[in-house]
Amino acid sequence: MVHERLLLNKEKAYQKIRDLQRRIAVYEDESAYKELFFQFFNTLTRFSTGIVHSGETAEEIVSDVFIQLWKDRTKLEQIQDLQLYLFIAVKNNSLRASRQQQKKGTLSVEEMQVELESTYLDPAQKIMSAEALQSIHTAINNLPPRAKLIFKLAKEDKMRYKDIANLLDISVKTVDNQLSIAIRKIAVAIGSVVRKKS
Amino acid sequence: MTIHRIWNLIARKLTGEASVEELQELDRHTEEDSKLQLDIDIIQALWESRPDEAEERDYLEATYILHLDRMQKLGIEPHNPDESESIKSEPGKPGLRKRIWLVSGMAGMLALTLGLWFFIQRDQPSPTNALANTNMPEQFELTTRKGVKSKFMLPDGSQVWLNAGSKLTYGRNFGKENREVVLTGEGFFDVQKNIEKPFIITTSSVQIKVLCTAFNVKAYPEDGNTETSLIRGSIELTIKNRPNDKIILSPNEKIIVENSASAPFEKTRTDAKKPVALTANTLISIKKLKINPLDSSVLETQWVENKLVFRDESFREIALRMERWYDVQIDIQDPTLEDERLSGIFTSETVTEALDALKESMSTPFRFNQADRKINIYR
Repeated sequence: MVHERLLLNKEKAYQKIRDLQRRIAVYEDESAYKELFFQFFNTLTRFSTGIVHSGETAEEIVSDVFIQLWKDRTKLEQIQDLQLYLFIAVKNNSLRASRQQQKKGTLSVEEMQVELESTYLDPAQKIMSAEALQSIHTAINNLPPRAKLIFKLAKEDKMRYKDIANLLDISVKTVDNQLSIAIRKIAVAIGSVVRKKS
Repeated sequence: MTIHRIWNLIARKLTGEASVEELQELDRHTEEDSKLQLDIDIIQALWESRPDEAEERDYLEATYILHLDRMQKLGIEPHNPDESESIKSEPGKPGLRKRIWLVSGMAGMLALTLGLWFFIQRDQPSPTNALANTNMPEQFELTTRKGVKSKFMLPDGSQVWLNAGSKLTYGRNFGKENREVVLTGEGFFDVQKNIEKPFIITTSSVQIKVLCTAFNVKAYPEDGNTETSLIRGSIELTIKNRPNDKIILSPNEKIIVENSASAPFEKTRTDAKKPVALTANTLISIKKLKINPLDSSVLETQWVENKLVFRDESFREIALRMERWYDVQIDIQDPTLEDERLSGIFTSETVTEALDALKESMSTPFRFNQADRKINIYR
């Protein structure tokens, strides 16, 4: 049942974005554009920062991608998966920017050091103590770069395995494996703090 | 079945990639191993945890404004008539990130910082009434006690709303020979037009000269600074002991002057491109007013409508304002609480209700007890 709800939510989220696309393409609806911006700006910026290693540059890259999106709004409805489209556009522009700057920007997504969004699990939920939670968060933040990136895309952006594989130019099998590794490390961290306590 | 298989199944379950058979397989494992079920529950809770949306939203609001600004420069701004006027930022200013940082760091969403902070040398202490002792042999005094706000009509037809714990004095000749008043505390002024006799307000640290305008002056002695917010018209402001340096304020701007400012200006607003650190530490800044996007009311003057509004202010500042608003004395016993920043609006709440609400929104909860009009706040 949990599973079905999850798939249903994914479908709903997808339809919502399709709807925003239509409103922008057909009605030039600025509030729809804003909603899209709000939904994707932060996550795309974190993704880009992993490549260009500069929050400022990343924000400009993402802002540029959104400007382009408005410019091309009449063709917006033709994009099947806008989320994936945005991520690929940001990836390409970020790689180009780091090549142009010839700085130590990451040229391969394998080495991307991506930051995760800061989440807050309410200790009042009594799942565990704040300290235990802290050490689990540390474990997540210390995941190997590639596992962490895939974890981010799967958890925060709710991307499907095949889309992650497509975006990162890796196989679905690799996505599956890396995410399993991430889950195992988190489970080990949970095990060590929760078991120690009880 | 390997251990790895379990993590694999959990990952697939969380992402919705698992098939029905795989879900059943995972269920069989958890039936055998109750600890595994606990782990999965925790992982799932973590997986579903999301960042604080309200916090993100403020940042995004500011970011989006700057994004529109970039678009506008390219001539492709999407249409947005209500917001673009009031929050347009100046062209050619620092990059996206730097400005966002200023916005979110200082005031939250719509307080776009225009002039940057600049520093002015602090002078020797001077008598607080240096500007105030103009010739006023016979004085009229309008006062409001703490917890009370009042509206007054001045002899020249100008209106003034005095916030709690404030005082306005003016001489016998007010309206005849001059239009000069002295303000302690906070007042909102709606000034009658009279080109011959400019309306002059003097506080302990600034003097404001106006022709016809509506604006708010906040100059409580116990606050660290004096804030002047302009709603319409224009005003000319001079800082104590520096009569030759005049600052012209435009509508929807406010100027904040640290209460002991006295040295001459080293920089004017227009050429202050970046923070300039001079020899010491008196601060002056000019900011956009905080406009509520829902009804475009200006937060700085909400008290006139009987609302105590604060946006991204420290608990220490809020406590000071609550003291005046409710006529109580608030002592924060634990300094770690003082710097927490909060936003909120109080209208009809009692002081106890207000504190209860604040208690809920602090990251470190506090306790308080009240004896008569004295309130102590503890961790």
